[in-house]
Amino acid sequence: MSDPNTPFDHRPDLVLGAALRAALAPPPGDTGAFVARVLAAADRPADPLAEVLARWARRGIAAALLAALASGWVVGRGLAAPDDPPVGDTQAVIAGVQEPDAGVLLASFADR
Amino acid sequence: MTRTRPQRQGGPARTAEEVDEAMLAARARAGDRSAFGELVSRHAAQARRVARAVLQDPDDADDAAQDAFLAALTKLHQYDATRPFGPWLMRIVANAATDRRRRRTVRRTEPLDPGLVGGGARPDLVAERQVLLGRLREALAQLPERRRLAVVLFDVEGYSHAEIAEILGMPEGTVRSEVFHARRRLRTLLADWREDA
Repeated sequence: MSDPNTPFDHRPDLVLGAALRAALAPPPGDTGAFVARVLAAADRPADPLAEVLARWARRGIAAALLAALASGWVVGRGLAAPDDPPVGDTQAVIAGVQEPDAGVLLASFADR
Repeated sequence: MTRTRPQRQGGPARTAEEVDEAMLAARARAGDRSAFGELVSRHAAQARRVARAVLQDPDDADDAAQDAFLAALTKLHQYDATRPFGPWLMRIVANAATDRRRRRTVRRTEPLDPGLVGGGARPDLVAERQVLLGRLREALAQLPERRRLAVVLFDVEGYSHAEIAEILGMPEGTVRSEVFHARRRLRTLLADWREDA
């Protein structure tokens, strides 16, 4: 082992290195099996589940875009042409023929 | 293949092996399966050891090493062929092992070593050696992950401080400090074991 009193030693500690190497070593003689396993995994097509999820994700994004566009169209249309309560309704409420709703009441206040 | 790289301190000269590996990487990127197989074969043992330094469990470590090789295959276009292949790959291995360690929720038990189960050398010597190796693994597992990786990459795999700094994404001075602290802990353990023996 190197001198432990030299904290920033540039040289590898051969004894410690050999012990650690043995401690971390995979079972002897199975490197070939590991290489074959990696190559087989590399040859396999992409995970079918991931493919399915990716397709769903694409469809989901498309549906969300369509929904956003539809909502924008509806909101834009509503802002462009606000619904005014018909004048006839206001008069019917005042005459006591029809029960008031909030829109009619606010419209009548606005008229004043 | 089991070997230790000769250490160097980050000079510009490239070894014939590094040039060869850059060519293998280029061929693998172009779809040459045998070139990729050669790269895997050359770095398999090292990648598995580095992954095991993070994960302890040998099966988890092999899974992480495999993930790393597959990730490297898809990222070969990012590899700078003017630089050594090993540190680039080890960075991917370290990241794959760390990711797997974070995802892991159930820790599996360690299988019995075949040397203890079967025949072979004298059972008492084999058992004694297994005790030491087991204690070393335990001591390694108690170190912070970056420290563990630093000492394994330096003392086992033969990378320079500069290369380890690149692999682990930390300053070179920090690498030196991590290696020092890890060695101090592990050397104490080795010395205790010798005294016990």
